[in-house]
Amino acid sequence: MNAPGPSSLTQARIDDTGDAGTPPARERGLKALSTWARQPGFLLSLPALAVFIAGFIGPLALVVLYSVMPARSFGVDNLPTLENFVTIFQDSYYLSFAWSIGLALATTVILMLICWPVAYGLSRVFRRSMILTLLLVLPLFVSENVRLFGWVLTLLNHGILDGSLRTLFGWEVPELLYNVPVTILGMVYVYLPFMLFPMALGVSMIPESCREAAFDMGATRSQVFREVEIPLAMPGILIGALLTFVLVLGSISEAKILGGQSVIMIAHDIETAFTYAQNWPLGSALSTLLILLTGVLVIGLLSKLNLDKLLSRK
Amino acid sequence: MDTPSSAFGSRASERAMRIWTLVVLAFIYLPMVAVVLASLSKIRFFMFPIKSWSLEWYGSVLGSIEIRDYLWTSVLIAALVTLISVLLAIAGALAFARYDWKGRTLYQKLILLPIFFPQAVLGLAILLWSSAWDIAPGWELAVFAHLVWIVPVVTLVISIQVYGFDPAVEEAAFDLGASRWQVFKEITLPILWPGIFSGALFAFLLSWGNFPLSTFTTGAEQTIPEWLYAKMVAGYTPQVPALGTLTTLLAGILLLGGYWLGTRGRKQ
Amino acid sequence: MSETILELKGVEKYFGDFVAVERINLSVKDGEFFTLVGPSGSGKTTMIRMLVGMDKPSRGDILMSGERVNDVPANRRPTCMVFQSLALFPHKSVGENIEFPLKLRGEAKHNRKTRAIELLEQLHLSESYYSKKVSECSGGERQRVALARALAFDPQILFFDEPLSALDYRLRKTLEKELKDIQRRTGKTFVYITHSLEEAMVMSDRIAIMRKGRIVQVGTPDEIYNNPANGFVAQFMGEVNEFRVSRKDSQWLEDTETGAQYPAPPDSPVDEGVLIVRPERIRLLSADEKADSTFEGVVEHQYVLGSRVQYQVRVKERALLVETMIGQPFGVGDSVSLGWDADQSVLMSE
Repeated sequence: MNAPGPSSLTQARIDDTGDAGTPPARERGLKALSTWARQPGFLLSLPALAVFIAGFIGPLALVVLYSVMPARSFGVDNLPTLENFVTIFQDSYYLSFAWSIGLALATTVILMLICWPVAYGLSRVFRRSMILTLLLVLPLFVSENVRLFGWVLTLLNHGILDGSLRTLFGWEVPELLYNVPVTILGMVYVYLPFMLFPMALGVSMIPESCREAAFDMGATRSQVFREVEIPLAMPGILIGALLTFVLVLGSISEAKILGGQSVIMIAHDIETAFTYAQNWPLGSALSTLLILLTGVLVIGLLSKLNLDKLLSRK
Repeated sequence: MDTPSSAFGSRASERAMRIWTLVVLAFIYLPMVAVVLASLSKIRFFMFPIKSWSLEWYGSVLGSIEIRDYLWTSVLIAALVTLISVLLAIAGALAFARYDWKGRTLYQKLILLPIFFPQAVLGLAILLWSSAWDIAPGWELAVFAHLVWIVPVVTLVISIQVYGFDPAVEEAAFDLGASRWQVFKEITLPILWPGIFSGALFAFLLSWGNFPLSTFTTGAEQTIPEWLYAKMVAGYTPQVPALGTLTTLLAGILLLGGYWLGTRGRKQ
Repeated sequence: MSETILELKGVEKYFGDFVAVERINLSVKDGEFFTLVGPSGSGKTTMIRMLVGMDKPSRGDILMSGERVNDVPANRRPTCMVFQSLALFPHKSVGENIEFPLKLRGEAKHNRKTRAIELLEQLHLSESYYSKKVSECSGGERQRVALARALAFDPQILFFDEPLSALDYRLRKTLEKELKDIQRRTGKTFVYITHSLEEAMVMSDRIAIMRKGRIVQVGTPDEIYNNPANGFVAQFMGEVNEFRVSRKDSQWLEDTETGAQYPAPPDSPVDEGVLIVRPERIRLLSADEKADSTFEGVVEHQYVLGSRVQYQVRVKERALLVETMIGQPFGVGDSVSLGWDADQSVLMSE
């Protein structure tokens, strides 16, 4: 019954109807624009939007602009060209893209499997235990380099694992670092919270009554899982999957520190192009492809989500 | 397993869930424990089991003037990021969740985009952008880069608090004669306080631990995570794990302390 | 008592193309308990938001004590509202909630406390509630705190937006009576909105019934009960028996579907329309009783409604509802005779 809060825009139109004469269309358009700009919500959004535009849209737009500049130029005042993209497809850069996408997919799938029981437990069995949540959040605040370094110390020859097995059982462990599986391990490790917390949010959106109703109607555990839990938790699962995928896609440290360059990630190519190679347009072209890929995925998903519903848990 | 004994599923599956969660926790903390162990080793190169233990590396970390400089840079950046991001995010969260305005759903999605973007690439893009404006990298640019990523996170955290409060409460205060400012000061701000507090905590800690944005934007200055990375790659000494342990400890203390303050605040 | 404190002249409100309320003309007298009743979507919430000053009317004027207040915002109107959600400040104690309007006026702490405790007592809450948290109060106690806060503001008109709707039946009944009592004692003008006509009947001096953004009838509870302006109002009060009729002569009406004959209400100018008879106005007749019209029927269903009982009686092709006090010697399957007097029915054109 509560009537929708009137926006200033509707207010403006109402005031218009009160006028005796009809003002010209342009004037009315201006008036509507100015009342729109005076909405309190819009005004409050301005500071955050300013940061977004000056620190996100601006830089990314510049990157896109640089991507069509001739190789090795350090300004955007040249004639646009597609040569950088030609270079990318002729050179072996597609390999880094393929590896990045492949590892991102693998990490996402593995994390879904690892996180579901924990996410489920977090919002149901453990009754939203605060201590458990804090323990799971803490790694987010420790520099990922430090944590990855911890894995190096663990897996190193004469490290924690090797040293323990040697001392206890006399086993010799082969070299564990610097390969693809350990790169994936690092990614799974670093991005675990990014899958876990959105997923837990998703699980918390499953009403207990829906599960009970399904059980009551004779559904088995696995049927409830497939028919009730997964679909209802889907928004959270999708956000987690997307976040993981996109962040792994653009990651560098795991492949560098644990993988020992056995895999070159696309972000690493980008960094090299910008820094050692001093070829900004090439780095920009690579970044542009990455921006396009993540942009399509992220905007595709976000446009489908009702954030009000998701965040207020109504 | 197929017939649940309770609404929560069978006891067996509940137990499996507990065990699995413990395994995941062990997975998360194993490398951190490794870092702590490495920091206690007397010899320069890490060998396990550790033969001779020592706290000397902590002493050398705490005594290092070089590290004190990095610490200052890190704290300065994190403190400024916290202050600015909280101010922006309070307004941003009210726009996100409290007011109904044309353009809100678009805003909600735009503002979240930086969270869904690889930070290393964002850092490089901001570096490129700053050079186009002739702005030299330094701690100021790092603050800006951190804000791009942290303002959305804090906005989200405070928004969740905003969703939980009844807008009628503000209207009631207004109806009882309060001015817009009085409504904000007496009603809105105190009710949003828990969200603002966790938002500030998040902002500080995320900035404190950030590497990918800092590495491209601090220029000649360095933060703790940058120093750690540089030493990991070349010139390792157990100072690295010692400082790593200290930063982790600090994050843990802030987090637990914040939680403790939060629960105490709620009881009063 | 007879001075007009609130007047609406041709008030209308649109949200875009949606017409929320239309052509509202209304006046409320000083000291009156006035209730706006309507189902969801009838525009009553829009109305009260305009009256309080949260929204502005699209057209028309709102006058308070003769002055146009359309553009006066809520915080500068001498009125105040008890919200549907109560809108108690969750971070303030009961006492701080009540003192809030006094604090805004810069009243000294000591005076504020005295006044708050006075109000608590007036609302049957002990002094110990003063320092309690809002979350420690029960539903009924919160109602009282919200009312105390509004009274502390000392408004000229006190508005209520269905504050009792979330309470259980018994508590609601108690609070309805208390509210009426407070209104009488303080002599303030209360404007109340609700979807329950029953609630309105208990408390109000006058009632306005709203439907689809318009006012369909204004009157005292008696007038509305006995002379509903149309079928909507009649049905709004609960289940009724309706017969589509046309006039046979000055005394009798004929059912256009069954041909049965009913006594015409006296002095009704209507010749064709709907005859409405409330279930409680139909009597079950014992052998020596008489009514203006009498029918024979069979009891089909029996529903016990606390102290009263409702029968569904089959009379030829019609099922009539009859409500009586409990303790009648009839059960399902019994044959009964029933009837009503002409002045107990209402005839209205559609």
